[in-house]
Amino acid sequence: MTIHFLLILNRQGKARLVKWFNNDYSNQERQRYLSEIHRLISSRDDSKYQSNFVEYEQQHKLVYRRYAGLYFVFGIDLNDNELNYLESLHFFVEILDEYFNNVCELDLVFNFYKLYNILDEIYLGGQIQEISKSRILERLAYLDKLA
Amino acid sequence: MASLKSFIKAVRKAKTIADERAVVRKESALIRTSFRDAGLDQTTRRINISKLLYLYIMGEKTHFGQVECLKLLASPRFLDKRLGYLAAMLLLDENQEVLTLLTNSLDNDMQHPNAYIVGLALSCLGNIASPELARDLYTNVETIMTSNNGYLKKKACIVAAKLVEKDPELSEFFLNKIPQLINDKSSSTLLGAVRLMESIYINNEDDRSQLIKYIPKIIGHLKRVTTSGYMPDYDVGGVTDPFLQVNLLSLLRILANGDGNQTYAEDINDILTQVASNLESGKNSANAVLYECVKTIFTIPSDQSLKILGVNLLGKFLSTKDNNTRYVALDTLLSVINIEPLAVQRHRSTIVNCLSDGDISIRRRALELSFAILNDQNIRVLVREILTFLETSGDNELKSYVTSQLTLAANKYSPNDKWHFDTLIRMLKVSGNFVTSDIISNILALILQCNDIELKRHIISSLLGACLEDSTQFGLSIITIWSIGEYADLILNQTVEIGEKKSKLITESVILQLIDELINNTTYSQAETTQLITYILTAVIKLSIKFKDSQSIESLRLILNARTYDNNLEIQIRALEYQEIFAQDTQLKKGLLARMPAPPLKERESLSLHATGSVKKSTSMGSATNGSGPAVPPSTDDLLLDLLDDNNSTSATNSTNQNELLSDIFGSNTKPARSNNDAILDLFNTPASNVTASTSTTSNSTTIPSIEAYANSHVRVLFTPKSFPQNGTAVIESIIESHESSAILEQVQLLIAVPKSQKLTITSTSGDTVSPGQSIKQTLKLVGKAGAKIKLRVKVRYGIAGSVVDEQFDFAGFEHTL
Repeated sequence: MTIHFLLILNRQGKARLVKWFNNDYSNQERQRYLSEIHRLISSRDDSKYQSNFVEYEQQHKLVYRRYAGLYFVFGIDLNDNELNYLESLHFFVEILDEYFNNVCELDLVFNFYKLYNILDEIYLGGQIQEISKSRILERLAYLDKLA
Repeated sequence: MASLKSFIKAVRKAKTIADERAVVRKESALIRTSFRDAGLDQTTRRINISKLLYLYIMGEKTHFGQVECLKLLASPRFLDKRLGYLAAMLLLDENQEVLTLLTNSLDNDMQHPNAYIVGLALSCLGNIASPELARDLYTNVETIMTSNNGYLKKKACIVAAKLVEKDPELSEFFLNKIPQLINDKSSSTLLGAVRLMESIYINNEDDRSQLIKYIPKIIGHLKRVTTSGYMPDYDVGGVTDPFLQVNLLSLLRILANGDGNQTYAEDINDILTQVASNLESGKNSANAVLYECVKTIFTIPSDQSLKILGVNLLGKFLSTKDNNTRYVALDTLLSVINIEPLAVQRHRSTIVNCLSDGDISIRRRALELSFAILNDQNIRVLVREILTFLETSGDNELKSYVTSQLTLAANKYSPNDKWHFDTLIRMLKVSGNFVTSDIISNILALILQCNDIELKRHIISSLLGACLEDSTQFGLSIITIWSIGEYADLILNQTVEIGEKKSKLITESVILQLIDELINNTTYSQAETTQLITYILTAVIKLSIKFKDSQSIESLRLILNARTYDNNLEIQIRALEYQEIFAQDTQLKKGLLARMPAPPLKERESLSLHATGSVKKSTSMGSATNGSGPAVPPSTDDLLLDLLDDNNSTSATNSTNQNELLSDIFGSNTKPARSNNDAILDLFNTPASNVTASTSTTSNSTTIPSIEAYANSHVRVLFTPKSFPQNGTAVIESIIESHESSAILEQVQLLIAVPKSQKLTITSTSGDTVSPGQSIKQTLKLVGKAGAKIKLRVKVRYGIAGSVVDEQFDFAGFEHTL
């Protein structure tokens, strides 16, 4: 019961955020995952009425969602609660949206390190650690002041 | 040195991949050089590391920066620390040596007066903890867990859970923190506590009993959250704190499942009922909680009424428009079907509706589920829907699964024989190109076994009608042409229906027309065409005694003649042999070409028999497992390596090779589909080879001498070279003969291995018991490089007077080469 990875890819397949909570993958595997996952998801995205879940590589289930031109993808265990992680994904995006004030791809490109800081306030070691939006935003604002 | 921003801009400005590479390479080189500078100031280091992280996201090499991030996080400035820890989390992982250098910094920072710095260190440890780090730093985590700072407490809980994962022994230090944590009302601390309990439960069996006593606490929290009113901070889509609810439910499931005494069964039932009935399904957040609740209901020993409630919830999920909800519903129903088959049945129509859904994952699950709920009560309705699916769906990759499952289900549950055959024929009609060879053989065997002449007539004419309508369905064509060969006399001069309205009188010329059409069909692959033509030739020779009209018979002869020049050797041989038979007098032919006797029951169950047979054989080779099996016990190694000596190819010692070799040895047996296919070929081969034998005796041509390969006091093993066409294939007959004086031999088996460059197919034996003076035969077919020498390693095993005898020998006594 854990998140194995969190990826943000754009429609061309360029990675905007890669976070591997699971340290068992080699570098080659990681690069292969990125391109395969992009292919898998973008092909599903082209046809309508697809669910946001798809099995990948026997041991993973992808929970993904496209926001504008970006795919947000979770890799989770097969027996995990897909709906819950979909909700969590949306939660993450909402935080980004408030933090960057109408987030767009360029925000993420130039502020990728902030993206990681946000991520680290919501998830820790593949677990959801904080579920109050206002608290996270307060904390982020404070951390920015410290810097 | 340029800023991060200008670097990112430069990368983005690159028009081609080559440009981008150039920018990246240049920057990467600059960063490396600057890292070599011993007097590098932290600001430049920070900028460089941030660039390095951008390279990391791009998938570039970053290993040279690992030590630098350790230097950066050792800086006293928050800004440096923050980026340093971030980089450490991304660029390092638990498997690296440098991690030991991190211990000190983590230790210091976890005791730092600034809570945010403690937070950074905790995050880092939670992401890349190794067992060593876990043991070195658990006391720091323990201390933080008891602090009053909620922000750090929740992080510490999750990190503790991680440390227990890395070293289960550590659970004893965290276990005594739970009573305090579990009473915390803050959602995030609770979330961490739940995670910690879960980790301890999973990783340390000894502590499980101590966790079960917290079940009432968890129930209490669930009750509190579900009954609490609107909480703006934790509200998601109208549901209070769904994330916490999901985690509590999931922990409840784990703990309750481990509670052998079911001490809290009643309370758990109550709370689950409450959660399930209090929430209105609809919003994703609500569904997430309900879904977790249903999962819990079906994993733990729940009340019957609760289970019904659960299935009904899934039914509600199924009827929504949202594909995500339907996906999880179908997924869960698949696991529930074994627990509550009847309740699932009630949602049959909804499930069936999902067969035509737009999402392939949903269709796939609906199909699986349809087969799972199929029984003798609903087979007619369900099969109709499944056939419609086959007819209308474009999911070709699903179709062979469907045809296999459908054949299996029809064999098991069909209400009567006529329905059974009608269904199979309809299936062949709509997806004859997606049936595997074992299904074809299965259907042929069923036709052979059918004793009702009227029904048989019905089957053959339906097949013919369907095939006349559409000759591009491979499975249908094969089965039809075979049946026509066997049973044309049943339907000659009858009318068959073609399509909806048309009907046609079956004459010899209609059959000839069909044969012609099939021969000229170009939609099949090379292999399919070859197989079809060989079937057609057999049908043609069989028809030669059934047709009356001399002109039709002449047409049959012409078909055979044309094939004696065929490029494909298998076809050519067959055509030549049949041509030989064709010339014989009618009486003899009638005997030769009589109908096949029904084979022993060869339903799909017999497939599994084949499989177990092969397992038995594998174990006899020294308890080795077959092809895909796990470890090969050392005892077999000698034998295997021995076998490999025969092998001309190099690299012979690794275990994959052994496995491959094993699967080679058992080539024909390990794959049930194949072997059944062989069995059906056997159906054809037997008469054919008998025929060759008898023609040779009648024409007094050369008899092929058998070569004795081995003999002991009980048995003699002989090989008869049957055909050596010099193109890389060979057909050999093996004969196991028992001596006159010997006792009855039982369970006689011949295991044969060939060099890896060749492939061996063995037909099933004519029996496994040999009485004195008798023999059993098997046909071996070898395929390999033309001109290669034939070498066999043979193991003969038999039971005599209650004991089992194994004999092994090598044989290379053939004059011919492949």
